[in-house]
Parts: sequence; structure tokens; C-alpha cells
Amino acid sequence: MNCEVCRLKELEVEHFEIREVLRCILHTILFHRALGLVRPKDVDLELFEITYVQCGNVELEKKIDEKIDQFIDRVEKHPNKKNQICLSFYEVKNKQAVWFTNKVERLYWEQWYISLNVAQQPKSHSGKSYYSKVVVDPGESALEERSHRRAALEASLREVLFQIIKFVNEKKDHVPPIPNLEGLSFPYEITISSSSDSASGMDMFKRMLQTGHPTMLS
Amino acid sequence: MDLQGNVQVEYGRFEQIVSQFLSKSLHIILDSRVPSIRPLGRSGDLLLSAPVKKSDKWFNLVLGDRPAANLNFYHRNLVEPMIIDIVLVQEVPDSSYEHRPTTTLGLGKYVETVLERWVVQYEYISTVFPQVGESSTSYKKTYKKSIILLRSLYSMMRLLPAYRAFRKLCLSTQASDFDINYKVSSFSVPYSREEEEVMKQYNFLPIDAPQGRLSISVTYRASLSDFNLETSTTFPPQIITDYVGSPATDPFRAFPSSEKGVGATSFPLRGEQSPSSTPFHRPHSWTCGLHRISPLTQPRGGSPPVHRTSTMPYDCLSPPTNTYGPRYQNSTNHRTTSFDEYQLSPPFSPSPPTYFSGGNPLKTRMHSETAPMSIPRSMMGRSPRYLSPNLSDPNRNSLPPFSPRSTKYDPSSQDSASGIRLSRKSGSFRAGEMNSGMTNHCSSQKVLRDSKDDSGRFSGVLSSSSSPRIGFSRSSSRLSFQDDLDDFDFLCPFIVDDVDTSDSHASQNLDGKKGSECTSQAFSSAKKSQDAAVGALVHMLRNAPPLRQDSSCYSSPSSKTELEGEVGAASGFFVSRKTSDALEELRGYKEMQDFLLSKSRTRVVGKEP
Repeated sequence: MNCEVCRLKELEVEHFEIREVLRCILHTILFHRALGLVRPKDVDLELFEITYVQCGNVELEKKIDEKIDQFIDRVEKHPNKKNQICLSFYEVKNKQAVWFTNKVERLYWEQWYISLNVAQQPKSHSGKSYYSKVVVDPGESALEERSHRRAALEASLREVLFQIIKFVNEKKDHVPPIPNLEGLSFPYEITISSSSDSASGMDMFKRMLQTGHPTMLS
Repeated sequence: MDLQGNVQVEYGRFEQIVSQFLSKSLHIILDSRVPSIRPLGRSGDLLLSAPVKKSDKWFNLVLGDRPAANLNFYHRNLVEPMIIDIVLVQEVPDSSYEHRPTTTLGLGKYVETVLERWVVQYEYISTVFPQVGESSTSYKKTYKKSIILLRSLYSMMRLLPAYRAFRKLCLSTQASDFDINYKVSSFSVPYSREEEEVMKQYNFLPIDAPQGRLSISVTYRASLSDFNLETSTTFPPQIITDYVGSPATDPFRAFPSSEKGVGATSFPLRGEQSPSSTPFHRPHSWTCGLHRISPLTQPRGGSPPVHRTSTMPYDCLSPPTNTYGPRYQNSTNHRTTSFDEYQLSPPFSPSPPTYFSGGNPLKTRMHSETAPMSIPRSMMGRSPRYLSPNLSDPNRNSLPPFSPRSTKYDPSSQDSASGIRLSRKSGSFRAGEMNSGMTNHCSSQKVLRDSKDDSGRFSGVLSSSSSPRIGFSRSSSRLSFQDDLDDFDFLCPFIVDDVDTSDSHASQNLDGKKGSECTSQAFSSAKKSQDAAVGALVHMLRNAPPLRQDSSCYSSPSSKTELEGEVGAASGFFVSRKTSDALEELRGYKEMQDFLLSKSRTRVVGKEP
């Protein structure tokens, strides 16, 4: 079984937009991967004219919100880095419930990378902000710029959602059989990484350790 | 043969999957595009508590009731495509009627434009031969993939431009100038060239199925800006969680049911706790009353003042039930503890009728303008000792100021304010006295139930009655009443003014006193207003003689001559007793005097010879 990877289009967001954007993307992905019985719930974004669909599961919402909080903390601690969220779906293999150790093997079959480029707060002439433009004329030009940026972000977010739907449709063969009554969705994991870490290398290394020998493909 | 039987069974299952797939996709499409055929009462979000029908569990996507549409046609032939046209219907002014510039429904021509065309089909490919061994797993795979496909269809419905038109139509409360309709058929009229140029296409990846594949595709208009779709409301409806009733509504219109009315009763509680700060915390959705209600009309900064202007009068009734219910529940906890002593049923039950005279109480208060907001200040000023119990006890606030039939309250006058304040307190006192020892027979309830006019007159006596009420609950002896009454005596300076009028009423209430239960009997006989009765009661309590006196002292016949001045009943009795006895004594003395005088004359006469 191969692991399908989808790298979504990078989005330029402002700090206050992170939560909405991430919620939209993560929930959309999970809606397509939560193949248990679902009561879809439409959610309108407040900042954009976009409606996305949630699974209507309270626990899921909580978990996602927790992860988003962690991401926001990470962004605040590492302001000048590109931050990435990785949503991985895995299969649990070779469950060995030993008394004191619970050896569980995870076989990742799909990974989604969401890259957000968080714009820094425009500091006047500080020179520290790499991602913000120097605002020479405050007032109307700043507002115009903001509305332009907002419209561009909305279009990009829509593109990302289309991208998700397209990926979900095109790659279906790798999806494992739906686990019966084991919960709403396939087991998943959300990890946060920053650009300064050798994220891809670490992830690959972790995956190699967890999935075992690469030749052991089921 | 067995194998053929299996194949047939498998194929039968597959046919069922295809049939349900078509049905489900039609459901998704129509549910997201045509608001008019949605089942009645269905909101955007499905109720989580509603049980899921078995038919709705197909593809693990619960959508609720099917729209009222003829979904049977596609059952005829699974191989034929199902073509769903989502049509925008707009009314265009008829050029022949030039004298009618405004278009209303039915006066102009209708123009139909295809917004989207969905094609859902099972493409039968005869060259694909079903593998016997794979048939059982293939339909399961097909089913799994169709679940994913339908999920992506559901998401896509919300991303396409036509969804915004659908939402506009759903949110509009009045008739809009466009409508969305649909057509389902197995064939379609091909687009014109112009239409083709503006249409975009999106094809979902087909799912492999036994002997064919399932596919969904759509051609849609990329932009709807040409149509100038406008509806009556531009703001999406927002639920204001702490809505205050609009003063523009009919002040005498009852709040919905008593239970919900209880929910609304926490309005004054909040208002009285922080009359100046409450309006600032609460977003207002009405503006018409702003100019009239000065304390209430400070809108919260940043909150849009206008939401649903057309439906405002109705809206002000519905939200409070939802929003204040839980708050009132919190306050009822306080009540139940104190009411355990009162031995009363829960405050929101209809059985103690004194609280809700027809469920009208609050709205009269809520819809008086400046007056209600001045009440807590004055009240707090007058009875600082009892500030906290007053505020924490919602019972006081839940009681009617006076009957809605009385139009005594004048928003601008101070008298009405006092009337509202006083009568409300009197109402609260009613609650207390009900379970004091004096109202054992509940006959007092009959009196108190009738909320008549003139209630303001006696409430002066009871202005700070809330605390003695608490005292009453603790003991039923008159002695304790006396003590409690003495405590707050100094807090009611205006008792003196109202005593006269209350006396006359109280005296009337004292008709037919018999035995130690005279007080309750007094109330049962009198059919005065609640406040009058209460005033008389308090008056009597304050002036009740000590327990050591015989009960016969209360059985004095004439009541009209008894009660005079602040001395009250005891002194009144005493006066009457004095008069008659004094006369008798005087006669006795006179007789004695005569006797003595006569005797002394005889002695003098006897001694003198």
C-alpha cells in the first residue's frame, strides 16, 4: 500500500485568519475521510464567503480546535518561519497489546500538507518583518491593500478546497476498507512543523521507523 | 447453480447500490439548490437527536427527509442518465405593459436560465465482463468509492456559484425577485452557443462498477453577476442570545406560556441588578424604541442595530424564551432553597397563581419606558439592608407589578414608577405571606389571585416587605412577625400615609372573625385587591395584641369603629372595650357614690341627734 501525499497550495494569511482557514481545510479533508455515518453540518466562514462541511462530530471539532491552538502558539513562538500542518491517515497494524508496552504499528496511507505563510504584524520601519510590505501611505491604500489581499486569499482558499475534492476523487484505490463501528473516521494524526526543522526528513525517518521495512508492503 | 445464484444476488445488490446512488445524488443536489421543495421545518443543520431512518443511512450520509419531488422516474431504467437542470427563474417586466414600472409576481414574463446541469449516470459498458470471484468485493469497493464520491459532491455543491443564490433565496424573508427551480429528465436541451461560452464543466472521477461505471458531471455558470440577484434581506439572520423584547411591541401581549414566561421574568432581575450596565452588554436588534427608552437604548458598541426590521415585533417574543430560560433556572435554584421554607411549589408552576396573573406580568413592566429602570435605584436606596436578598430572590421580580388591566402606569410619571415598584413588592410579599402561618387555609390565595386596581395604594406598606417575607417563612408565630415588622419599621416612612386607606380595607376584612384563625378568615371574606388585603394584614400584624390576651379580644363585633390611627387593631379593641366598660364602671361608681352618700347622710343623721 502506498502513501499518497497531497501538498496543498500555500496560503498567505494574517494572524487572525489562521483559525478560520485551518478549520475550513482540516474539516473539509476529514469530511472526505470520515466514512462512517455522518450528519453533515454546513459552516459558513465569517471572514470569507465560503461554506464548508463538517462531520457534525463534537469530539472531532474539539480535537481540531486543539491542534489549531497549538499551531497558533507555534506561530507566535516562531514568527518568521513557514509553518506547516500535516494531517496523516494511518492504519493500525500488528496490534500487540502487551501488559506494559503497547506496541502499535502505524501504516500511513495518506498525508496532507497544509502550508501557511503567516504575515507578520506590520511594524513601522522595524525591518524585522519579512512578509509585510512597508506601508508608506496609511489609510486608504492600506485598506485597499487589505481588501485585495482578502479577496486573493478567498480565491486561494477556494482553490485549495477544489484541490482537496480533486485529490479525493482521483485517489481512491489506496483508501483502506472502512473499519466497521470503530469510530467516525480513519485514525488520523495531526502534526505541526516549522520550516526551520528538517521536517520532511524527520517525518520520513519517523515513518520508516513506524512502518517497518519498506519491503513489507501489504 | 449456486454460483449463478450468487452472481445474481451480487448483481441485485449492485443494482440497489446504483439505484440508491442516483436517489442520493438527486437528494443532495436538490437539497442544496431548491429551497422550495425542502421538507417543512427542516433547518440547515439536521437535528442530532432525531433518529436516522434506515433509508437515510445509505452511503453513510444522513440528509434528513427527502425533498418533495418525484424521484421515481429514474427507477425505470438505471442505465439512462439522470439529468438535473437547476434553473434560475426571474421575472422580467413585460415590455407591453409600460405603465407598470415595478414588477410583481404574475405581471411580467418569466425568464428561465439554466444555472447548472448535473448529469448522474451509470454508464453501462457491455464489454466489461463481471468476474465471478471479484463480484462480491467489487460492489463493496464500488460502495466505498461511491461514499467518497457523494461526499465530494456534497462539498462541491457548496463551492459552486449557484450556492450563493440558493442561500440568498433561503435567507430572504419576503418575496424576492428570483426563484430557483429544477427539472429532472433523461434528456436535455442542448445549450446555445452563448450559453456554452459562459458555462464551465467539472467531471467527478467515475467509479468503476461491475459492467460499467458511475459518473457525475456538471456544467455550470461561472458567474451569476449578470443576473443582479437581490433579495429583501441583506443580513443573514443572527441569533441574538440575550435578546430584550422590543418596546415597540404591544405591551399587553402575553409572553408565550407560563414556563417560558418564567424564562422571560429574569429580564427585570438583570435589569435591576445593573440597570445602567445591562444594556451595554446586550446587543440590540431593535432601534425603534431607542428614542423612547433612555436607559435601555445604549447600544453596544459595534453591534449592528438593525437586523430584522420586518419581523421585529414577533422576534422579540421568541428569543427570550430560549435565552432567559437557562438564566432563570439558575435563579430558581436560589428560589427553591428559600421556597423550601415557604413550602411552595416551584415558582414557575402555574399552581401559585399569584405570580402569574395570566402570564402578563412582565411585559407590562418591560414595555414601560423609563419607569422600570428607575425602580431598582430607588429600591436600593430605600432598603439597603435588604439589597442582596432582594436582588438574589427572583421571586420578587417575577411577580406582576399590577394587573395588566390597570392602565395606571404612565411611563413618564413618577407615580407610575412608584406604583410599579410598590405593587411589585407587594406581589413579592404575597409570596411570603402565603406560607406564613397566617395563610394556612390557602383561602388567602383567592383574594390574592384577583389582581385588581388600587394595588398601588397598599404597596406602600409593603415597600420593604421582601425581608419580612423571609422572616415570615421561618416562623409562623405572630410574635416573630412582630419582631420582623419592628425591624423594618423605620424603612417604610411612607407607611403612615397609606395606613389610613389600608385601615378601612383591613377593617372590612375583619368581618366575621371567629377564633384564632380570624386572620385567614378575614381574608377569605373580603374580596379586595391583593394589595389591600396584604396591607390590612400587615397592619393587623403590627398591631396585634400579645399572645397572652384572650382570643375573645379579636371577636369584637363592630369593626368599623375599631381601627383608628396607627395604634391598630389592639388599641382599637381596647378603646371600644374601655368605652363600654367605662360607662358601666361609671354607672357602678355612680351607684356606689349614691349609696355612699346615702349612707353617709344616714350616719350623719344618726350621729347628730
